[in-house]
Amino acid sequence: MEPIVKKWYDYLEEGKIMGMKCNDCGQINFPPISACRKCRSRNLEWTEISGEGMLLMYTTSGYWPGEKFAPYAPFAYGQVLLKEGTIFATKIDGVPVSSPEEIEKGNSELPAPVKAKIIDGPGGRKVVVFEKA
Amino acid sequence: MAKNPCIIGVGMTKFGKSLETPELKDKTFQELLAEAAFEAYDDAGISPEEIDAFIVGNMLPQTSLSNSQATNASDWLGLRCKPGFHIDTACSTTLNAVGVARNLVASGLYRNILVVGGEFTTSYPADDVNLFPLDRKPLPDVKLWNWTDYAVDHNFGYQHFYGFDALNGVSGLAYMKTNNVSFEDYDRTMLQVNKNVRLHASTNPKAFMYEYGTLEEEAEREGFSSVEEYWKSDKNPFIGWPTRRKSALNPADGASAIIVSSEPDKYNKKLPIEIAGYHCAAYNWPWDGSADVIAFEGAYKMAGIKPKDIDYLSVHDCLQSAHLDTSETAGYFEKGTAWKAILDGRTRFDGDKPLNTSGGRHGVGHAFEASAGADTYEIVKQMRGEAGARQVKKPINIAVQHNAGYALHITVVVYKPAK
Repeated sequence: MEPIVKKWYDYLEEGKIMGMKCNDCGQINFPPISACRKCRSRNLEWTEISGEGMLLMYTTSGYWPGEKFAPYAPFAYGQVLLKEGTIFATKIDGVPVSSPEEIEKGNSELPAPVKAKIIDGPGGRKVVVFEKA
Repeated sequence: MAKNPCIIGVGMTKFGKSLETPELKDKTFQELLAEAAFEAYDDAGISPEEIDAFIVGNMLPQTSLSNSQATNASDWLGLRCKPGFHIDTACSTTLNAVGVARNLVASGLYRNILVVGGEFTTSYPADDVNLFPLDRKPLPDVKLWNWTDYAVDHNFGYQHFYGFDALNGVSGLAYMKTNNVSFEDYDRTMLQVNKNVRLHASTNPKAFMYEYGTLEEEAEREGFSSVEEYWKSDKNPFIGWPTRRKSALNPADGASAIIVSSEPDKYNKKLPIEIAGYHCAAYNWPWDGSADVIAFEGAYKMAGIKPKDIDYLSVHDCLQSAHLDTSETAGYFEKGTAWKAILDGRTRFDGDKPLNTSGGRHGVGHAFEASAGADTYEIVKQMRGEAGARQVKKPINIAVQHNAGYALHITVVVYKPAK
């Protein structure tokens, strides 16, 4: 079996956000995996995802216990429904987080379209976040 | 004659802080396990000689100073050279062990099995070279969660800004959004949940928060004119909006024990509790709630029950939003109605829909792999009518226990009194 995790992070270095399409049931697996999450098939192939999705909700994070992400705190953390049909959770940019009232108002305006982008995450490794227009 | 293997004895230590709580102070991991097991032996009226096998739960070897936990525990449990092994599904472990023990007993291989789990989450060895179990120091939250989060997907999820604080926030938000509940209504519901949790814990001497009294008493001690004002104060900050700190677990240390038997009438005259259904489902990040549905459905099918049959429910409340969402997934409440039932007082021990009457992971405290066993302890006491001041008034013919092992391993067990 090829190293899947290393290849995914290598793709991010090239600016590509990849998932794995199941050749048996058509499911797009994101993040990638060794067996399809829907039908358990190993007949998977790499496919670039659209990076488009809808932000369903977001909260704040980075306070408790916090050490690893402290340099980013406070930041928004939310759930995105990808165009490909699966849920992904990560840091969200472009939404207000400075007070409970702002977060409540920001959530009242969801779902809203978001776009994936690649940033330098903790430890300098490339990771995927989503940004609201 | 019971149709299924039964629980015939339960035990648990006081839950608290190993450096402060008198009942826990100066005790090692093995001594905590033995204390819980010995209470269970005495409760069942059984001797270790009659225990055929044992299962040990423990998540953090960095604090217990033990891996190969069954080996390290065997002699301390009075079970030297008996068959024993360690299983680990994080915070659902002791419930999974009850299910596994049930199936091993049902197979005819063993007659009596001890399940025991123990955890230290508030202290760890002071010196990382000279590892001595009694030479301990407080475990900082950052270190506790670094180790606990080993249970979370480190390939992707953990790298993408995952934190337990955000999980608390997203879980509350998901309930609000799915059911069109305003923040104001969510917040006053979570206050009511915490009032219930503290009320229950204030009647449970084994609970970490027993000595702290009710939330109302604490608010007065802290100088607030009302519990609502205290709830919204900076003493109870948001850890991930809309969820406040008091709606999350309190780390604790302790141990719990359960004895599963095919011979329920042999050792004592107490009501045996039949393990009628068991199912579990494990899945990796990202989570979508499907494992909970599968675990509940599987356990109900095995037990031949419907959600309407349930008289008592225990949900895994490291996030207290579980009182709202998991109770609905269990079918204990219709979708979107649990928050109103909670506000109406129906989930208190004296309500018509009792839920987590021990105090749960905030009130009893969360000693990870001992915690599910503490829920089982409460259910057995409630079904026998031994729960004292918080005794549920109506007879409990069907009780259901749900635990979520980080992250995530969902387990559900259905109990019935043996006829």
